[in-house]
Amino acid sequence: MPPKDDNEKQQAAQQAVDILHEISTILNCHLDRRTLSVCISMIENGVNPEALANVVQFLRKEAQKVGLAKDAAAAAATSSGR
Amino acid sequence: MSGSTQDRNRRVTLSINRLISQIIPDDPHLDEEQHQQRHDLFFQEIKHQLETPRPPPLADQNHASELIRRKLVQTNPSQALRYSNLYSRLLALPVLNQKWAMLYLLHQLADSPDPSEPDPIAIAEFEHEEARRRQEEREEARRRKQEEREEFGSSGPSDDESLDGYGHPPAADDYRPTELRDVLKNPKDARSFDGEIQQPPSRYQSPRTKTARDDVPSPSKRDVAIKSKLLADNYVNVEPSEPALLRDLPYTLQGLSSTTLPFGKDYSLKLPSTLPPPLISLLHTLAEPSLLYRTLEDFVKTTTKGLLDQSLRAAINNELRSYLTLVATLEGQIRRALATIDEDAPRNGIGKAGVTLKRCVVWTRDATMGLRLMSLIAEESKSKKGGQLISLIHSFSSSHGDPIVGAFAERLLVPVTRPFYDILRQWIYDGELCDPYLEFFIQENSQEVMPKGKSGSINVWEDKYKLEETMVPSIMTVDFSEKVALIGKSLNFIRHSCGDAQWVESYSKESSKELRYGDTATLEAWIDEAYKTTMRRLMHLMTNKFHLFQHLQALKDYILLGQGDFIALLMESLAANLDRPAGAQYRHTLTAQLEHAIRGSNAQYDSQEVLRRLDARMLQLSHGDIGWDCFTLEYKIDAPVDVVVSDWGNRQYLKVFNFLWRIKRVEFALSSTWRKVTTGSRGVLHTDHPTVQQTWKTTRGFLAEMVHFVGQLQYYILFEVIESSWTELQARLARDDVTLDDVIHAHKKYLDSITHKGLLGARRRRFVGSSAGGASGSGAPGAATGANNDEDDNSYMIQLGELLRIMLAYRESVDGLYSWSVSDFMQRQNADISQRHPGRGKSAATNVNTSSLDAADASHLTQEGGVPHSEFPALQERLRHLGDRFRGKLQILLGDLAYQPDVDLRFLGVAMNFNDVYQPIRKKAKTVAGATAGASGTAGGAGDKDAAAKVSGGGGRG
Repeated sequence: MPPKDDNEKQQAAQQAVDILHEISTILNCHLDRRTLSVCISMIENGVNPEALANVVQFLRKEAQKVGLAKDAAAAAATSSGR
Repeated sequence: MSGSTQDRNRRVTLSINRLISQIIPDDPHLDEEQHQQRHDLFFQEIKHQLETPRPPPLADQNHASELIRRKLVQTNPSQALRYSNLYSRLLALPVLNQKWAMLYLLHQLADSPDPSEPDPIAIAEFEHEEARRRQEEREEARRRKQEEREEFGSSGPSDDESLDGYGHPPAADDYRPTELRDVLKNPKDARSFDGEIQQPPSRYQSPRTKTARDDVPSPSKRDVAIKSKLLADNYVNVEPSEPALLRDLPYTLQGLSSTTLPFGKDYSLKLPSTLPPPLISLLHTLAEPSLLYRTLEDFVKTTTKGLLDQSLRAAINNELRSYLTLVATLEGQIRRALATIDEDAPRNGIGKAGVTLKRCVVWTRDATMGLRLMSLIAEESKSKKGGQLISLIHSFSSSHGDPIVGAFAERLLVPVTRPFYDILRQWIYDGELCDPYLEFFIQENSQEVMPKGKSGSINVWEDKYKLEETMVPSIMTVDFSEKVALIGKSLNFIRHSCGDAQWVESYSKESSKELRYGDTATLEAWIDEAYKTTMRRLMHLMTNKFHLFQHLQALKDYILLGQGDFIALLMESLAANLDRPAGAQYRHTLTAQLEHAIRGSNAQYDSQEVLRRLDARMLQLSHGDIGWDCFTLEYKIDAPVDVVVSDWGNRQYLKVFNFLWRIKRVEFALSSTWRKVTTGSRGVLHTDHPTVQQTWKTTRGFLAEMVHFVGQLQYYILFEVIESSWTELQARLARDDVTLDDVIHAHKKYLDSITHKGLLGARRRRFVGSSAGGASGSGAPGAATGANNDEDDNSYMIQLGELLRIMLAYRESVDGLYSWSVSDFMQRQNADISQRHPGRGKSAATNVNTSSLDAADASHLTQEGGVPHSEFPALQERLRHLGDRFRGKLQILLGDLAYQPDVDLRFLGVAMNFNDVYQPIRKKAKTVAGATAGASGTAGGAGDKDAAAKVSGGGGRG
């Protein structure tokens, strides 16, 4: 890709993220802007979107689990502290 | 290539790391190493997942976009439009090569559960794992114990073990990340997949792959692809070729002629005749938006005859511009595709380029719908104007089944209704109608249309503006439009009739708001508020500045004889004056007496504002009238109160006053006569003659009946009718949210009930019929109807009028009898004096008389019978006759009253006849009674000279 004016490109990218974020809001994707931009960059690098979707779902589930583990640990800590 | 692949892999790895740190929250309980381990675990899993070969989804951004759009249309139509918008903007951006893939990702993630909310599946799995972990820990502990028992010394490296548990495959169960396969099995995901993608991972590859994976070789093709390839191979070259058509298509869509597709006259498009039918049909479809565009473009340029028409054109123009944007995008796509096509491939390789005529048809479909709708509106709008136009567009948005059409019309409504709301705003905040093209649903009546004969501000209120039902747009309810009409009318009225323009201006300055289409609830709230404010102000002005209620009270007091002392005094002081003929009444004497009555009664404490308006005057006199018939009190009402007390109301008041005044006069006359007779019976009327005594007795009886009748009538009208109606009126006016319209209606109702119940307006249908029959029989009812113009259509008025006239005539006869008795008494006294010795006293004379008077009187009477100047028999006959007539008429009246639907009227009948002394006569008998009464009346009245003749003559026929 020929090197373009950096600033302009940046702006366009910003716009693209904006638009995609809006679409994702419409679709209830629950993606924040940073996650979204990571996803965009992965997609741009040729990652299969379907696989990526699975990955995102997977990570979310894991995040939930970690959260639960944390809660459990916190609960255990408070109960033992007493 | 390999360098770029490496580079790419590096970046992907980086991204994965970022993604993990982004989504997985930090756990403070885990130390650095654990963290790293966990991270690695995830990383491995993801890497594995990403590298698993899977079929690339259809490399077509339109497909992904279409999936999303379809989904949105199903679940959330309002967002679908927004999405289309966003999508077109996205397409326009130069960055991002894999837009389709991104969209696809978003589609996959659509409606995913909120990560911040607990996911039941995750919880379940977590608990499951937790349980298993504990169990394993227990087993571990047991095993360790055993080991400890077996080999001593190795003090528990439990920490290491547990750490190992995370990292090493044997212990990997401890913390087992969800297998991605599980995620795939999640029904939620499976649902949203398209059929093609659900096929098991294989080497299938879309034949249309053009951008994304061009470098990936496609080993084989799907059946469909094979078929299409076969078709493509069988493709016959056509002239002009599809690329040529495509090249010209954007111009055609913009309504410009091109070499292959020239436009003809009258909105027609000429298609090349060399094309095969399928292409022709495609071109037909594509010709529709082109032709519609041309039509609409011309429509937009036409001159307009209204503000709403203008705004409609502006709105359509806007839509056309966005259509042109679409065409421009399309053109860009076509150009790009045409630049890449392979000249040697079959069909010039157009199938691979991604842009075909068919695709163009699909792309322009939505736009075509919009154009179609607009051209429909444009066509219809030619015959409609103003509110009807809005109704037309609104009907599309509210009742059309297609959500796209609905949304489109809704969007169109906002700009189109702008002038309408401007007018509305002017109207409800300034009270001015600013509508040069008569498009609003309220219209000003031109001067010529206004009904003639009425003047004053009633015109401003009721006739100045009219509500045009057909022009009310369907975005407003009828109630609402009436409210709007009332607001503007009130403001206008306040400004022009109440002279309070200042308030209107300050009001419009502080509360004026921008109104526009959309939030109906807010709009209604604003209008309600404006309504309340305006009405409150108007009522405030009416009450405090123009003393409306004071005037109503004064009208009741003076015109409806509520102020008894004043009326009594006025009547007393005027009685002598009014007995004279009407021609001899002078205004200055009347006003002087009025002034006297005011000063002599409690009326003097009334405010000057009220008394100033009170005036006594004579009605138009007709020949033979005496003062009583013409006298009237008047209460002058000026603008703007005459909106409430209109000309009609004034006439009603006058009518009621005249009626009451007549009753009052009869009552006055009867009571004065009764007084005279009662005092006289102790002195001058004393007679021993039985016939005379009998005559006097019946006369007094009749007098008492009449007094009773008049008393009842008066009581009924003053208390049962006027007072109760007044209370009703007060109750109506005391409400908080009373409007001027309510006041007008309440007042009208008040007057109506007074005239109706007060026997002034109650009609008797059958009477009309019988009077017509009587008219044809007697031939001369014209005298009666001519005499009472106002009353010829209501029978009670006539009946009561007759009764009152009979009573007056009776009273006159009684006066005659009285004077005869007095003269008779004088004669007898003179005769006594001449017969007896002059030395005897008066008391002796009366004593002696008892024995001799019988004979004397008898001789006197017999002698009088022959002598022409004796009036007694005529008087007796006349009294008897009038009394009978009174009874007859009263019985008819009672008969009528007894069958009235109105309870109050029936009650009047009962009050008059409480001891059943009268026999109410039904209407059928009435004509007979009337005829006989008329016959005897004319016979008896032949000798009368005064008004009684007229009465009986007219009455007999009435």
